[in-house]
Amino acid sequence: MTTIVSELSMHDLNNKFFEIMQNESNAEDAANFIYDSVYEDVALGFLFEFHHGLKTGLTDLVEGEKEEDESCKIVVSPECDVFGFSVLKKTPDSNCSCPNCERPVSATRFAPHLEKCMGMGRNSSRIASRRIASNSREPTSYAGLLSDDEDDADWSGSSMQSERRKRRIRNNNNRKSNKMHNGNRNNNGNHNSDSNDGATYETMSANEKKNLLQQICGVVSEHTKKLCIRSTRCPQHTEEQRRALRNSVLEPSTPESQPLLTADDAGSPPDSSPSSSCSSSSRKRDRHRALKNKSKRKRNLSPSGRD
Amino acid sequence: MTVNNTIAHQRLILSGDRERFKELLRKRLIECGWRDQVRMLCRDVVKENDTNNITFDALVSRVTPRARAIVPDTVKKELLQKIKTHLLTQKDQ
Repeated sequence: MTTIVSELSMHDLNNKFFEIMQNESNAEDAANFIYDSVYEDVALGFLFEFHHGLKTGLTDLVEGEKEEDESCKIVVSPECDVFGFSVLKKTPDSNCSCPNCERPVSATRFAPHLEKCMGMGRNSSRIASRRIASNSREPTSYAGLLSDDEDDADWSGSSMQSERRKRRIRNNNNRKSNKMHNGNRNNNGNHNSDSNDGATYETMSANEKKNLLQQICGVVSEHTKKLCIRSTRCPQHTEEQRRALRNSVLEPSTPESQPLLTADDAGSPPDSSPSSSCSSSSRKRDRHRALKNKSKRKRNLSPSGRD
Repeated sequence: MTVNNTIAHQRLILSGDRERFKELLRKRLIECGWRDQVRMLCRDVVKENDTNNITFDALVSRVTPRARAIVPDTVKKELLQKIKTHLLTQKDQ
């Protein structure tokens, strides 16, 4: 049939067509058939277009990259923010306990807290040192020492030395008052201490030597020819050195004081010698005697007290 | 019937009116959004296949039934009406 139709001439086709179209149902059928055919063509055209775009990558270029739904998803949950992270407060293990005040401190605030609490850092350390200073000004056991140091600020020596010097000055002042009372000498304490420091035993009276040797070591240095002004138990010199020095320094005065006693105070008992043990009473007596010696020496200008 | 339809179709092709109807249908399908729907269908099919290496035949066999079902009735009726009218008016000439 189709071959026959195809062989029809244009004129025959027209005749046949008009013949068919006499019937309206035939026309409707033909319309359906033609519509299906046209629809197939159009649908295939779209599909070809899409397939072409798919194969050449045109579709991806036109439509762009597909978005990742997962990464951009907004989390809707009362416990999480939109990123899905928890918005709850930090767990307690992020708190550190301060070693100083044992208060729980948030880890992010730990360093500033330590700075405040332990007094480190710039401002806090200033505050802390001020606090410490104010505390130490309160009367404590060592507050006196501190004030002593402050008073000794003009002394160049160490605290030990200056203490010793102080004691010596005090003693010198005592002696000075005695002497001033007697009107024999009007030297001030500083002069005495200077002479004690710098000079040797040659310039001292027997009583001065004795007092001095009760307080200091007194061994004469080989190099500087000066007295050792440390305590009587100073570790630099041995006990033998001290004893030898005391013997050599104090002994020569014994023959001097003995005749003096016999000459001036015949009534006083001649029992004490400067090298003997020094109780307070004997020291008193010695001083008394020494003063007499001094006055006598002043009168005679005798260098008998010198070594 | 098939011969009659073929004769009418043949004559429509020869007159060049079939091309006009085809262009009209294409325009209508684009206007009503059918083409985009078919595109989505095709994309779904490709995604199901998980690769871009789907063949055209596979695409046609999967998409065509669903695509035909979603053609709007108004478009189809308009086209049928126009074709029928065209065929009937041809008779008069």
